[in-house]
Amino acid sequence: MSETVLSVDELSAGYDQADVVRRLDLRVDVGEVVALFGPNGAGKTTTLRAISGIVKPSHGTIRYLGKDLSRLSPTVRARAGIAHVPEGRGIFFGLTVAEHMRLGYRGETVDPEQAYSYFPALAPLRDRRAGFLSGGEQQMLAVARNLVRRPRLLLLDELSLGLAPVLVEQLLPVVRQYALDNGCGVLLVEQHVQLAIEVADRCYVLSHGDVVLHETSERLRSDPDILVASYLGQRRRSGEEAAL
Amino acid sequence: MSAVLSTSGVSVSFGAVRALSEVDLEVREGQLVGLIGPNGAGKTTFIDAVTGFVPARGDIRLRDRDISGLPPHRRARLGLGRTWQTIELFDDLSVRENLAVAAQRSTLASGLGEVFLGLWHGEEQVAEDALDLLDLRHDADRMPSELPQGRRKLVGVARALAARPRLLLLDEPAAGLDSHESAELGERLRRVVDAGLPALLVDHDMSLVLGICDYVYVLDFGKLIARGTPEEVRNDPEVRAAYLGGSTADMASTADMASTDMLVTMPGSEATER
Amino acid sequence: MVLSPIVAFALIGLGSGGLIAGIGLGVVLSYRGGGVINLSAGVLAMLSGFCYWALDTGYFGITFPTGWAITLTIVFALVVGVVFEFGVVRPLRGQPPLAKLTATLGFFVSAQAAVVLGFGEEARPQPPILPSGIVSILGYTVPVSSFWIAGIVLAVTLLFVGAFRWSRFGLGTRAAAENEAYATLYGLSPNGLSLANTLLMSLAMGLVGLLGASIAEVDSSTLPLMIVPALAAATFGSLNSFTVTYIAGMLIGMAESVLIFFSSQSWFPTNGIGNPLPGVQELMIFVVLVVAMFFRAGKIPGRGDIVERRLPPAPRPRAPLKAAMKWVPLCAFLMWALPFGFREGLITSLIAAVSLLSLVVITGFVGQLSIVQLALAGVAGFTVSHFFINFGIGFPWAAIIGVLLATVVGLISGFPALRVRGVSLVVLTLAAAVAIENFGFTNSTWGASVTGSLVPAPSLFGFNFGPNASFHGIDGAEPSPLFGWFCLVVLTVIALWVCNLRRSRLGQEMLAVRANERAAAASGVNVRNVKLIGFAIAAAIAGVSGVLLAYSYGSITADSYDTLVAISLIAFIYICGITTVPGAIQGGLIYTGGLLAYAILDWFGLQGNWLNLLVGFLVIASLVLRPEGGATYLFYRSKRPASEVTS
Ligand SMILES: Nc1ncnc2c1ncn2[C@@H]1O[C@H](COP(=O)(O)OP(=O)(O)OP(=O)(O)O)[C@@H](O)[C@H]1O
Ligand SMILES: Nc1ncnc2c1ncn2[C@@H]1O[C@H](COP(=O)(O)OP(=O)(O)O)[C@@H](O)[C@H]1O
Ligand SMILES: [Mg+2]
Ligand SMILES: [Mg+2]
Repeated sequence: MSETVLSVDELSAGYDQADVVRRLDLRVDVGEVVALFGPNGAGKTTTLRAISGIVKPSHGTIRYLGKDLSRLSPTVRARAGIAHVPEGRGIFFGLTVAEHMRLGYRGETVDPEQAYSYFPALAPLRDRRAGFLSGGEQQMLAVARNLVRRPRLLLLDELSLGLAPVLVEQLLPVVRQYALDNGCGVLLVEQHVQLAIEVADRCYVLSHGDVVLHETSERLRSDPDILVASYLGQRRRSGEEAAL
Repeated sequence: MSAVLSTSGVSVSFGAVRALSEVDLEVREGQLVGLIGPNGAGKTTFIDAVTGFVPARGDIRLRDRDISGLPPHRRARLGLGRTWQTIELFDDLSVRENLAVAAQRSTLASGLGEVFLGLWHGEEQVAEDALDLLDLRHDADRMPSELPQGRRKLVGVARALAARPRLLLLDEPAAGLDSHESAELGERLRRVVDAGLPALLVDHDMSLVLGICDYVYVLDFGKLIARGTPEEVRNDPEVRAAYLGGSTADMASTADMASTDMLVTMPGSEATER
Repeated sequence: MVLSPIVAFALIGLGSGGLIAGIGLGVVLSYRGGGVINLSAGVLAMLSGFCYWALDTGYFGITFPTGWAITLTIVFALVVGVVFEFGVVRPLRGQPPLAKLTATLGFFVSAQAAVVLGFGEEARPQPPILPSGIVSILGYTVPVSSFWIAGIVLAVTLLFVGAFRWSRFGLGTRAAAENEAYATLYGLSPNGLSLANTLLMSLAMGLVGLLGASIAEVDSSTLPLMIVPALAAATFGSLNSFTVTYIAGMLIGMAESVLIFFSSQSWFPTNGIGNPLPGVQELMIFVVLVVAMFFRAGKIPGRGDIVERRLPPAPRPRAPLKAAMKWVPLCAFLMWALPFGFREGLITSLIAAVSLLSLVVITGFVGQLSIVQLALAGVAGFTVSHFFINFGIGFPWAAIIGVLLATVVGLISGFPALRVRGVSLVVLTLAAAVAIENFGFTNSTWGASVTGSLVPAPSLFGFNFGPNASFHGIDGAEPSPLFGWFCLVVLTVIALWVCNLRRSRLGQEMLAVRANERAAAASGVNVRNVKLIGFAIAAAIAGVSGVLLAYSYGSITADSYDTLVAISLIAFIYICGITTVPGAIQGGLIYTGGLLAYAILDWFGLQGNWLNLLVGFLVIASLVLRPEGGATYLFYRSKRPASEVTS
C-alpha cells in the first residue's frame, strides 16, 4: 500500500454560525491527484482551509504524514510542506512577481526559473507588481509559486479559475506529472470536471458539506452516469430544501 | 439593427505596457457578444476603458453618443452596467443593500430632500427582481464576505442588473461556478438579453461563451485577432492555437456541451422555471 | 552675506531635524510592520530619555556610569517594545487602522501621565552623551551635537533601508502587512515579524530618546509632540520610504530653525500687535503635504491598489424617535435636578456628542478619516466671538455665520480627500488642524491671545438662555439649565437627522463610497460629490458644536480646539462606536470633562494625571475587548464580521 500524505477523519468545520462541512472523510496518498468537486457553497474551500489551518475544525482529526495537525498553526503546517493556493489566490498585490519568488521563510529557497518554466507567460512580467497583473496572470503566479515550493501536500482551490482553456489543458497533465515526480499528494478543487477526471486518480463530490460520491476516476471515465447521478441527487436535495 | 456600443481605435497603455491597441468592437441591439482571449490579452482592460476606469484613446459610443470623455459614474448613469473580475462588492453592506445602491438614482436635491424629509424607504423593486433572477433570495441578508466565491460573482451580476442598464458588461461572471451552474447562468443571461438588454460577455468557460453568444470577438496581445459567429471562431486555426487549445475546442463542441446540456435539461431548468 | 545666517540656522536645525527624522523612522517602521499609525513613537523616545536620565543621575538611588546607563536604557527600550507589542500591536492586529491609531493614543496618554506622576512636570537637564562642543560657521556658533545627531540618524536610516531592501525580513514584513492569512500560508510568521519590527522600532526610539537629551532637556511633552512633524515627514515617504522620511524630517527641522531666524527679521509679517505671525511653519508643512500627496494618487483607486481594512459595520438605526422620547425627557429633568458640577458635565457631554456626530458622518459613514473636525468647530467658535467683538453681532446671526464659515472651510478641507485616502488622509487632516490652530487660533487678531476671546451669552429677543441666565437649577447655581436644554434640543435634532441620513439614499451612497469607491462609481454614484457633501455636512455639525462650546465657556482660547483634544475625540468616539449615533452619545458621556469624568472626580477624587493614566489604559482595554465599539456592540449586537480570510 502506498504511503498516505493526508488523512481526514470525521472532519466538521465552519464559521460563526454553523458547520458547513460535516463528518468528512478524505485521503490523499503520495503521488496521487485527488479531485474535489461540488457546486458553489458545497464546502470545498472550507475543507481546504481546515487542512491548511486558516479555519479551525470543530470536530475530527487531520493527519499529515501520520502526524495529527490539530495543534499546529498554519505557519507550522506550511513549513512542514503543506502548500495551499487559497480562494482569492493568496498573492500580495504590493510585491512584484520576482519578489514573490524570493519571499519565504528562513531556510527556504526556490528556483524562479523553474516557476517561469511552468508558465512562460510569467517570465516577461517578473518586474510587474502582482496587483497590476490580469486575473489569469495572477492565478499563474499563485500556482507557479506554490509548485516550486516542493510541498508534500498541495491544496489547489479552483486551479483553473480565470485561466485560458489552452492553459488549463496543458496545466492539468503538468500537475499530474508533478505529483508523480515529487511524490507529492495533490488535492484539487476544479470546475472543469471532464478535464479533471482525465488526470485525477480519485474524485470526491461534495454537496452541502457531505461527501455524496467517492470513486476512482477510472470508473467515472468509463461510466459518466455515476457523476451525473450524484449531481442529480444533490439537485434533488436542494429542491427539497427550497420546498420546505 | 443599430449599434448599442461601438468602439473604434480604442488603445490603452500603462507606461511601457501596451495593453490594448486599436480595438474596434460593436454590440448591437438584442445581441449577446462574447469577448475572449488568452490571459493578459486585454479583455478586462477593454471593459475598464469602456466604463471609464482607465484612460483610453479612441472613440467609444453608446447609442451614438460619444462617451469617451465622461467620468465613470456618468457613463454608469447613461446605462453602462458592469461586473468586475475582482468582484468588488460593497463589503460592509448586505447583499440586498449592495443591490439597492445600484438601483437608486439620487440627485443632489433628492438626496438632501430625503435626509430632511425622510421620503425614501429603501424598497426597490428592481433590486428584488434581480435577486430573484439570479436565485440569490436566500442570501439577500448575508454579507458578501460570507458567500462562496461563485455566488459573490453572481451578486455582482445582480447589482449590475439592478441599475437598469442599457448595456451589460460582464467580466468572467461564471468563474467559480461549476459546469451546470454556469450553464444555468448562461440560460438566464440569454433570457435577459432576449428581453432587450444587450450584453458583452468575457469568460473562459467556452461552453458558456460559444454556447450562448451571437457573435464573438477574440483578443490577443491587445489586438483583435478574429471575430465571427461562435462556429467560425471555434474553427479559426489562429484562435485554436492561441487560446482554445486542441481538445477544449473539440470538447466544447461535443462532449462537454453534451454533458452539461444533460445536466441542465434535467434538474437545472426545472429550478429556473419554477 | 545674506545667506550666511540662513545657512547657519539651517545647520543648527540639523539637530531637531534628526530627532524628527528619527521619530519619523519609528512611524514608518510601525506602519510597515503592522499597519499601525504610531502616535506614541515620540512617547517611546521620551520614556527612554527619562530612563537614561534617572539612571545617569541616580534618581532611583543608584548612579550608573554612562556606558552602563546607555546599555540599560537600550534594554529598557526593548522591554517597553515588548510591552507595546503585546499590549497594543498584537491584540489589535487585523483591526482597522483607526483602531490601532486610537490604541497608540491610549498608550500615549497613559505613558505621558505615568511619566509626569513619576518625574513631575518640569524639564530635567540631561547629562549630554554627545560631544558638547561648538563650531563656528560663517560667524555663527553651531553645536557639534547637531551634526552628530544628523549623522547617527542617517546611519540608522541606511541600516533600515538595507534591511528592508535586501533581506527576506523586509519582503516578509511587506507581505504580512498586506495580508496576514496569506502570509501564514507561505510559512511566514506574522507574529514573529511583527515583534521584530516593533523591537526594531523601540530600539530606534530608544536611540532618539538618548540623542534628544544632547540637544534639549527631557520633559514630558517635547519629544512626544514631535510626532506631528514626524508624521508629516513619514507621510512624504508614504509611510513607507525610510529615505524620504529622513530627508523630509531633516528639511522640516532645518526649515523650522530658519523660520525662527526669519521671524526675527523686520520684513516678517506680524500679527498686528507687533509679534511675528504665528503658525507659518505649520501652514507651510500642510501646503507642501497637500501638493505632494494630491498628485501622487488617482481620483479613483486603480487596479491592484491595496485597500485598507474596513471600518466596523454601520447598522441602520432602529426606532430612533422612540429612543429619543425615552432619553430626552430624562436628560432634561437631570439638567435641572443635578448639582452644578454634574450639570456642567452633562452640558459638556452634550456638546461633545454633537462634535462626535460630525465624526460619525465623515468617518463612520463616508469612511474619510478626518482629524480636522474640531478645528472647524473652532472656526465657528472664533467667528461667533469676533463678530461680537468687531461688529457687535450676536445670536443667532453670528452663530449662523460661524456654522456657514465652518462649512466652507470643511468643504475646502474635503478637496484633498478626493485623491488622498486612508491613513494618509489622517496625517493630512492632522496637518490641517495644526495649521488652522497655529495660524488661525493663536493669532490674536483672528483667534485669541492666551487670556481668551470674549463670547457673548446667546439671547433671542432679549431673552438670555446662556449658561449665566437667571433661571437656575434646583441647587440654585449656574450654569443655567436653560442653556443645557438648548444644547439638548440641538443635539436631539442633529442626532435624529443623522439617523435619517443613514437611512436615506444619500447615506447609502456614503456607505457605498466607504466600502468601495470603484464599485460605487460603476454603480453610478458620484464619488466626488458624495465625499464633498459628507465633508460639508460634517463640518456644519462640527461648526454647531463649536458655537455651543464657545457659548458654554463664555470666552475661548486656542486650547479649547487644540489638536490633541481633537485626536482624543477620535479615541472616545472610536471606542464607543464611530459608525453609530448611540456611539456618539456614549462618547460624549465618557468624554473628558463630561458627566462620567465629573462623576469619577466627584466620587473617587480621581483627576489629572491619575485619570489620564486610567483613561489611556481603558481605551486600549476597550479596543481589545470590543474593537467594533461599545455602542455598536450594545445596540446592534449582530453577527461578528466575517473572518478576514475571505477578503
Ligand atoms: N495598471 C497596470 N499597470 C501595468 N500593467 C497593467 C496594468 N493593468 C493591466 N496591465 C497589464 O495589461 C495586460 C492586460 O490585462 P487585462 O486584465 O486586461 O487582461 P485580461 O484579458 O482581462 O486577462 P485575464 O483573462 O487573465 O483576466 C496584462 O498583461 C496586465 O498585466
Ligand atoms: N467567511 C465565511 N463566513 C461565513 N460563512 C462562510 C464563510 N465562507 C464561506 N461560508 C459559507 O460556507 C459555505 C461553504 O462555502 P465554501 O467552502 O466557500 O464553498 P465552495 O468552496 O464549495 O464553493 C457557504 O454556504 C458559505 O456561505
Ligand atoms: Mg470555493
Ligand atoms: Mg480579465
